Amino acid sequence: MSKIQMFEKPLGMRDSFPEVNEQKEYIRLTARDFIRRKGYDFIKTPSVEYFETIGKASAIDESSLFKLVDNQGEMLVLRPDMTTPIARIAASKLLKEKNPLRLAYYADVFRAQQREGGRPAEFEQLGLELIGDFSPYADSEIIYTAIELLKDLGVEGFRITIGHAEILTAFLTNNTNNNEEVELLRQLLVEKNLVGFSQMLESMNLLEEQKDRLSKIIEFTIDSNVFSDFRQFLNDDQQYLIDQVEELQALLEFQLNDFSVVSFDFSLASHMSYYTGMLFEIHAAGSGFSIGNGGRYDELFKQFNEKVGATGFGIRVDRLLEVLPKQLMKEKRTLLLFDKGSFSKANVLAEARRNASEYVTLQYAESVSDIEAFKQIFDEVIIVSEGGSFREE
Amino acid sequence: MKNELTIAMPKGRIFEEAYKLFVQAGFNLPAEIDDSRKLIVEAPDERIQFILAKPMDVPVYVEHGVADIGIAGKDVLLEQHRDVHELLDLQISNCYIATAGLPNTTMNDIAPRVATKYPRIATNFYKEKGEQVEIIELNGSIELAPMIGLADRIVDIVSTGQTLKENGLVEYEKIVPISSRLIVNPVSYRVKSERINAFIAQLKNELNKR
Repeated sequence: MSKIQMFEKPLGMRDSFPEVNEQKEYIRLTARDFIRRKGYDFIKTPSVEYFETIGKASAIDESSLFKLVDNQGEMLVLRPDMTTPIARIAASKLLKEKNPLRLAYYADVFRAQQREGGRPAEFEQLGLELIGDFSPYADSEIIYTAIELLKDLGVEGFRITIGHAEILTAFLTNNTNNNEEVELLRQLLVEKNLVGFSQMLESMNLLEEQKDRLSKIIEFTIDSNVFSDFRQFLNDDQQYLIDQVEELQALLEFQLNDFSVVSFDFSLASHMSYYTGMLFEIHAAGSGFSIGNGGRYDELFKQFNEKVGATGFGIRVDRLLEVLPKQLMKEKRTLLLFDKGSFSKANVLAEARRNASEYVTLQYAESVSDIEAFKQIFDEVIIVSEGGSFREE
Repeated sequence: MKNELTIAMPKGRIFEEAYKLFVQAGFNLPAEIDDSRKLIVEAPDERIQFILAKPMDVPVYVEHGVADIGIAGKDVLLEQHRDVHELLDLQISNCYIATAGLPNTTMNDIAPRVATKYPRIATNFYKEKGEQVEIIELNGSIELAPMIGLADRIVDIVSTGQTLKENGLVEYEKIVPISSRLIVNPVSYRVKSERINAFIAQLKNELNKR
């Protein structure tokens, strides 16, 4: 390894310079206001948790965890997601006070990157969790809120793709011999490696009709919202899963003016292994990467010894920044330059302008080494002297 | 612009084969593109823009979404593990990856060395075999390595076996078959789904005839 330079930061860590930071603040404040109106309360959790609990329960792969050791020798992790700590709090305390529980967060999460060191290893995530509700109403509330939130933030051209973890599992299990085969095929669907999927089918010891049915799932293109066609692939005792999706669709159709942003795809599989029911991904033009995802994760609570229905979503703020139209909310910035004799006068002027909601910088002129370059940064420059003050453009 | 498809193509032989396939599939593309210095080629009738890139770079363009679709060899995909959807086997540029070396030789017991352009594929192959080897990454003329004693084995692409033969090498083990794949950016796959599905259907139609 080469010598670390003074400007360097640990791999994947980024500074947020003022302009970007302001945009993030805009997102945070807009989202916060919107989400609280929907009855969700914001929560904060520690940056550091035990590996034994949160680290193991989290769906984030162990190789992506930042690990450290405390002074007792316990293994710790920087929190890799917010869903798991929130599940911990809900299971141990908050659900006893309020059930169902609606929580929201805006927090940094940490995931070590395997490749291309510049990718963020710490990023802000914005999300909601609705805990204590098994019903499709909860699922539709989460998806609907995600859509409305993106609209409220000004994101254009986004798509929500909805799948169902249990339907996929049932479908794969019905047509294979064992769990190992199910997992192999599911993994290929997570990567959406359809070539690999077809090749895997050929190499497996399956009946021709099983292969036929399995290859159907990758041909079921994403915009065919006809679930009844899919019923034939499920057993009688699995039909209720399709009922669930139909109910979810009906609720969303009722709530959404424009249903075209939503599509269903039963081959959708997530690397987040704790999803049990519906799951969805959010994609938007402008970023090459998915900006967020969500789903039902009742399974996670079993790790905290609770039987609770839970559903939620998370959005990556750094990706959101890429897809948002550049903010035109530039504030006008004013510079007041004073000299020894005009300090009190400049003070009065600055306070008066600040009271009128202006953004004012008060600066002793002598201290600035390159005064012309400094003036360039501001929209308006006022030089205050004993004789009087005058504006410079 | 909104409905335009950007396709990253590898320069060279695969480009010609893939381009021919597109034309046969009925896409209305400019008759010939032989200006090898050009990096971007427009096909206005189909609202398609081709980017010409190094084969190894195609998955990078697609992963970052600056190209919606790409044509990449399975060798490159295996080596790079990019986050892209692999949707279609184009069945062109068929070949395979294999190990090769001088005839009648075995691996050096003390310091087994393997030279390759594909360090990840080679590492995984020997790991699965349970052999601990030193991987030496080279950028080309891999055949040189066993000839001058840099390595006992090479891991490289074999299409006809002619290059190996000419250099007095023999193939030892086949690792994986390779062909060109159609890859798609995950966001484009959702946001431009109608356009991309239609594009794939048209190609599939042609491939099924073969």
